[in-house]
Amino acid sequence: MNSILMLELGVGIVVSFTLLGIFIWAARGGQFDDSKKMMDGLLFDSEEDLRAAVEKEKKVKALKAKKEQENNKK
Amino acid sequence: MSNVKCTHCQLEFDESVMITEEENPDVYFCCNGCQGVYHLLKEDGLESFYEKVGNNTIAPPLEIESDSHSFDLESFKQRYIKTTEEGFSSVDLVIEGIHCAACIWLNEKVLANTEGIVDATINFTNNKAKIIWDEETIPLSKVIDTIRSIGYNAYPYDRSAEDIKATKNKKDYFMRMAIAIFASMNIMMIDIAKYAGFFQGMKEETLHLVHIAEFIFATPVLFYSGWIFFRGAYYGLKNHIVNMDLLVSAGATLTYIYSLFVLFGGRGHSYFDSVAMIITFVLVGKYLEVIGKKNAVDTMDKIRSGVPHEATIVEDGVKRVVALDAIEVGDILEVKRGEKASVDGVLIGSSATFDESSLSGESLPVEKKEGDTIYSGTINSGKVIRYTATKNYANSTLSNIVNLLEDALSSKPEIEDTTNELSKYFSITILLLSLGTFGAWYWWGGDFEQALIVAISVIVIACPCALALATPIASLIGISWAAEKGLLFKEAKFIETFSKADTVVLDKTGTITEGKLEIKKISGDASQEQLRLLYAMSDGSNHPVSLAIKRYLEQKYPDITPIELRHIEQVEGQGIEAYYGDIRVLGGNSRLMKSRGISLDFESEYTLYHFAIDDQLLLSFELDDRLKEGIVELIAYLDSINVEVVMATGDHERVAQRVAQEIALKHYKSALSPIEKANYIKRLKEQGKKVVMVGDGINDALALSYADVAIAMGSGADVALAVSDVVILNNSLQAIQDSFIISRRTFTFIKQNLALSLIYNVITIPIAMAGYVIPLVAALSMSLSSLMVVGNSMRIKIKDNK
Repeated sequence: MNSILMLELGVGIVVSFTLLGIFIWAARGGQFDDSKKMMDGLLFDSEEDLRAAVEKEKKVKALKAKKEQENNKK
Repeated sequence: MSNVKCTHCQLEFDESVMITEEENPDVYFCCNGCQGVYHLLKEDGLESFYEKVGNNTIAPPLEIESDSHSFDLESFKQRYIKTTEEGFSSVDLVIEGIHCAACIWLNEKVLANTEGIVDATINFTNNKAKIIWDEETIPLSKVIDTIRSIGYNAYPYDRSAEDIKATKNKKDYFMRMAIAIFASMNIMMIDIAKYAGFFQGMKEETLHLVHIAEFIFATPVLFYSGWIFFRGAYYGLKNHIVNMDLLVSAGATLTYIYSLFVLFGGRGHSYFDSVAMIITFVLVGKYLEVIGKKNAVDTMDKIRSGVPHEATIVEDGVKRVVALDAIEVGDILEVKRGEKASVDGVLIGSSATFDESSLSGESLPVEKKEGDTIYSGTINSGKVIRYTATKNYANSTLSNIVNLLEDALSSKPEIEDTTNELSKYFSITILLLSLGTFGAWYWWGGDFEQALIVAISVIVIACPCALALATPIASLIGISWAAEKGLLFKEAKFIETFSKADTVVLDKTGTITEGKLEIKKISGDASQEQLRLLYAMSDGSNHPVSLAIKRYLEQKYPDITPIELRHIEQVEGQGIEAYYGDIRVLGGNSRLMKSRGISLDFESEYTLYHFAIDDQLLLSFELDDRLKEGIVELIAYLDSINVEVVMATGDHERVAQRVAQEIALKHYKSALSPIEKANYIKRLKEQGKKVVMVGDGINDALALSYADVAIAMGSGADVALAVSDVVILNNSLQAIQDSFIISRRTFTFIKQNLALSLIYNVITIPIAMAGYVIPLVAALSMSLSSLMVVGNSMRIKIKDNK
């Protein structure tokens, strides 16, 4: 009986601490800095927005590479 | 004609006034701005903005008169632009015109699509934006133009060290609080099993397992979340102060040690749940305080962003843009239409019209003639003017107001919190009692272990849960009750402050009166056709008088349509002159009529507007601000509960006296500048009064920040809303009466709750000191005391439901 309880508690604690870890990781990344924006996050979760986010990342990468080249030349 | 929604801003207007397009019959626009933004978004493939807006309405695009070249000036760069590690430029902005999440999405999207912008993030909560861009690809002025092109505006702000600190602090507290809540919720679940075991029986080994699980969850709460209490206690002791932090950390640590002793010694009952609860409850309260401080910093940044960042000096006919600090007394300054005067001075050359609503609260533009004083922060609403600086920036009105606001916000006066005071004495008493118990048991019993257990159980049974819950639960119910009535209390502590208030200071325009002109009397006569000319003239102006005339005509003649006029000329501070064919049409004040050779024999204590066609006076309107509904009842109510009411206004004596008479008000103060208004509040407080200030304009912001409780009308200026403690969402005066009823009743219940939890302790602590605390008693009494407080608080709203 107690070994089952121990197992249940153990699994429960591991799972809940894993979830807490994910939450801390997200909070450190700034996901919860803006409480209002966070609540509306779901509204902006379409495929189109995802694609735009990827495009934006590519653009930023290109800009950064260009800037680095310019800095090296100097 | 029916009302239709503007396709862009979603505001409803009569179909006849909407702009339509032949090629798109389904779209309607209320103005050219909305039409422009709609097409711009369509071209950029951003129509999904309208899906995201949903049923929200947004403001029509802002009309911005100043150009953006100043953002590229060297003085601007030195002050606001920083360089990132990669060599990009970065600026912090406050974005104006944001209403919903879709606005944020649109701004971020448009900026992300702009060539040269590396990153643009906008915070919805405080409308602050951080933009990183490549200076070599795009200048900042173009970035600003992009934001303006979609109907918003941006102001730079100097991100202060206090803002960076407040943001970091808020994040730190958020993390600690989140972990504490997470762990406490888990402990509560485990507690259900534990307490059920007391009644139904539980094996010793199973109980041990439950204790281990609670130990795992309580440990991070005490050492990570509770760290700030240890830190606070340390600094307190270093400065020889016994503070709340010391008592919270001492109580929690002793309980934790006792529970560890039980866990590993295998005797008695552990109290890890109490450890987690104490830390969590107090931490949530502290987090709310931290948010309050962050809001104050955000408010200051918003106020500072409204200050002009440079001025144009004219020297020997050459114009030069300089930073505000470089302006010296005697310099000649130029202010274009729509710009703010940056320092105080006197007007030279021609006459001018200034919007002084930021100082006086009055919406009518003020006319200035040569030699008149120009106040910093007021907006030039006429043609380009020049004036001589009589003060430097640091001594000017605007800078004074900003500095005073800063001081007031950073040291917002507070009434001493009853619960905090009480729990301080309570905790000291408990610690002393516990120490005494330990001494007595050790002295007479001689058993160190036994003495320690009994001493710690005194602390545990005193369970600050009920005490900690007494105020928050009652406040929460009070606040939610207030919200139902359209009242937003920004922080719970204002319920207590409000309930003790004995003086209410009311602003005039926008609070006692509607702030909207209404026609009191009309003299003369005009035909339908002539009225259409008057309608056409008032249709073309945004002046409050024109708007009132237009409203009146639309109400009286619902089918009235304007006639097209030509050569429409706005005569500064006087009115409008226009032509219909060869007929000259005039609409304006007595000075306009006299200057055009029309003789007048008309005097009134109200605002006058005359209408003349071909030099013949047809109509004269007398206009006045309308009283708000319910003001007389409110004043009667406040009188009945012995609260003193005072009207404080920037208006002159005659107007103030008339309004005071109309509403049967005994006390009023007239012709007060924003600083005088604030000083008046300060004087009242020095006399020992607890002051509630109600206002809505930028001119009230300083006085609001000085008051014990500041109430702003929901439709008021951004700054007034930001510095207020209570916001009246539905703009009704009844809400002020409701705030008194709700706060006084809630505070009575807070006092009852505190009394209940103290009575509970008076009964249980002696039992614990005598060493009779068995786990069952502890478990029962803990839950009972909390239930008692929650149950009592539920009664707050009963009166309202009857």
